[in-house]
Amino acid sequence: MTKLHLTRRGTLAAGFALATMLAAGSPSLAADFPDRQITLVVPFAAGGSTDVVSRILAQKMSDDLGQQVIVQNVAGAGGNLGADNVARADPDGYTILMGTVATHALNPLILKSTPYDPQKDFTPISLLVLVPNVLVVNPELPAKDVAELLALLKAEPGKYSYASSGNGTPLHLSGELFKSMAGVEMEHIPYKGSGPALNDLLGNQVSIMFDNLPSSSGHIKSGTLRALAVTTKERAPSFPEVPTIAETIPGYETYTWNALFAPPGTPADVVARLNAAANKALADPAVGERMKEFSATIVGSTPEELGAHVDAEIAKWTPIVRDAKIQLE
Amino acid sequence: MDLFSNLALGFYTAASPENLFFCLVGVLLGTLVGVLPGIGATATIAMLLPITFQLEPVSSLIMLAGIYYGAQYGGSTTAILINMPGESSSAVTAIDGYQMARRGRAGAALSIAALGSFFAGTVSTFLVAIFAIPLTVIALKFGAAEYFSLMIVGLVSSVALAHGSIVKALAMVVLGLLLGLVGTDIYTGAPRFTLGIREYADGLNFVAVAVGVFGVAEILRNLEGEKTRTVLMSKVSGLWPTREDFKRMVGPVLRGTVIGSALGILPGGGAILAAFASYTVEKRISDKPQEFGQGAIAGVAGPESANNAGAQTSFIPLLTLGIPANPVMALMVGAMIIQGIVPGPNVAAEQPALFWGIIASMWIGNLMLVVLNLPLIGLWVKLLTIPYYVLFPIIMAFCSIGVYSVNSNVYDLYAVAFFGFVGYVLVKLRCEPAPLLLGFVLGPLLEENLRRAMILSRGDPTTFVTRPISAILLLIALAVLVVVFLPSVKAKREEVFQEED
Repeated sequence: MTKLHLTRRGTLAAGFALATMLAAGSPSLAADFPDRQITLVVPFAAGGSTDVVSRILAQKMSDDLGQQVIVQNVAGAGGNLGADNVARADPDGYTILMGTVATHALNPLILKSTPYDPQKDFTPISLLVLVPNVLVVNPELPAKDVAELLALLKAEPGKYSYASSGNGTPLHLSGELFKSMAGVEMEHIPYKGSGPALNDLLGNQVSIMFDNLPSSSGHIKSGTLRALAVTTKERAPSFPEVPTIAETIPGYETYTWNALFAPPGTPADVVARLNAAANKALADPAVGERMKEFSATIVGSTPEELGAHVDAEIAKWTPIVRDAKIQLE
Repeated sequence: MDLFSNLALGFYTAASPENLFFCLVGVLLGTLVGVLPGIGATATIAMLLPITFQLEPVSSLIMLAGIYYGAQYGGSTTAILINMPGESSSAVTAIDGYQMARRGRAGAALSIAALGSFFAGTVSTFLVAIFAIPLTVIALKFGAAEYFSLMIVGLVSSVALAHGSIVKALAMVVLGLLLGLVGTDIYTGAPRFTLGIREYADGLNFVAVAVGVFGVAEILRNLEGEKTRTVLMSKVSGLWPTREDFKRMVGPVLRGTVIGSALGILPGGGAILAAFASYTVEKRISDKPQEFGQGAIAGVAGPESANNAGAQTSFIPLLTLGIPANPVMALMVGAMIIQGIVPGPNVAAEQPALFWGIIASMWIGNLMLVVLNLPLIGLWVKLLTIPYYVLFPIIMAFCSIGVYSVNSNVYDLYAVAFFGFVGYVLVKLRCEPAPLLLGFVLGPLLEENLRRAMILSRGDPTTFVTRPISAILLLIALAVLVVVFLPSVKAKREEVFQEED
């Protein structure tokens, strides 16, 4: 941070001279890119699903780029802290961000003020994976599928609560979207992350939860939790027997995604090099195997496709956030 | 019996030359990062995660686990020698351990810490093996109401933490609670007391606050009067505990082990809470409570055993449910997923060699730690003879690197500086920093669970007394309160207080 501020001040002070130098310097910089280690900023704590995806990919990208891609966790403010750091970093491709639906669509919509603009303050590199969310319940809840759950919620409105990993997270919004599309009532109970929420769900302190599929998958397999439905349009390849919410509530779709972003104004050839490395890593069979076990669907994209994806996600979530009246400071 | 064949499988797995090697690497690294103040197991494990790609799953998890409980051993070293808790859970050890060191008994304090930890580690490892599955069932019965009541017990008991005036102790607890409010309200998302600084949106970093109020404050105090230092250096004598010391550590170690094992299972800061709880209990039942804060052996032996036992049993929810009890466990989940193992209730059944191998390696690792640490004590104590003007800049540098490495957040360093100053002022005002830290740890948990319990009960406060476990805990809190304010006890307390003045 401090270094970046200095650079900015330096640029102002030296005026055009330095700006020209930087501009002239960038092509040669890109030609032998990368010539030192790259920092991949993960805006969430180590050990979570975004972190795991990042570490698996960073390893493979390092092999292709010939330089280490170091994962740095800058957690805080729902991902905004890390994202903001990258938005202000030098646009040389040596500091990149593992963005998510939270940093690039939900936070800017939910928060009264966001330090960055998800569309203007980043250079898209590549969309990476989609991760389904899942509606899970404690096996003691009588509902065996989404229709039965809806019947239960309608029979006793106000009785049931659902847990999520926190206020304003994609999982919270998945729940709110579910409520508004189905016209049912459930109290939202936010936790600090999926772990403690799952703990209460297993103990039947709360009986319903929206979770990332990877974090619940062990419990779904062992039967300690019952998956009612996944939130994606298609069923998840790792759980073909679990239906989608859309099969009962047509048009329902949410998921979490991960994508790489660089600071604004990163040279196109540097972006292209990173994009190639990312897509090559995604095509690696070992990565494919890990991602499948992890219930993540590999996508991959061009930088332009990622830009369009961010626009589409913001357009999609704007009315949902507005209707659910979720506004945080 | 199943247990024996399972343990046999575990030891067979853990005792392979390769796994023994990685266990040793883990505990060595753990001791090292534990000793370096501020640099914690979380940062180290995060940095080592990529390396574990190349290893067998069981070897990598054995190594990562070794770092974690190794750090619990190492953390007490700096807490005792320089009043700088190397790990958050050794903050309590600093209270009496450092006083022992100042009286020239650093060696004894370090041996007591190591032996207590080893005993607790051994017992709790077997607890994990025998009771992992049934204990999980109990942990799951703890909902928001039960946690809230447990925190109340903790807070009420915390008055006993202080030696000195109850009013000052309460003031410190309240200040700690208030500091714990800093950050985003998880229910409404409103930022509280962050002064508009987004870096504090997730609250103040515990390590930063602990290093500040204990460590930096102590450095300031030492720099103020060079005399106290010379006393400390010249009086280093007797590396080993005496027969009398051994006699006095047995009870606290046993109780600490029980408390640590029980609290370690509960998610969220089990080891820290265990250390605080053990200290409280020891002080409460001691026949010489005035010794606490002045270098009481029980004040080192109890909390050290408790935090090590808690560190071991915090693996229970991870191994049986796949649910991480603390950030380090979250990293272990990440490590498992990277290795292609889905953490969850099936791990024990599907990967018995992995499950039992990790458990067996914990005992082997604890043995390695005690063998490793006892001979090192002489060396550590020699550190104290380094001139202070050389030592303190080194300490400050390591602290800063360590605190920064947790979140890569420069505002955590500002917090260290600020709380160093606060700690110094508190020392001058004769206020204890320990209740402040306890309030700081408990505050957010207390609030989070109170509000969650109220939402779940739709605003009905009777939920706290109609749920049996919660009701029992509240009764215990009430009993503690009565005992504290009982005329006879109160008189004794005041007597103790006057002795100190």
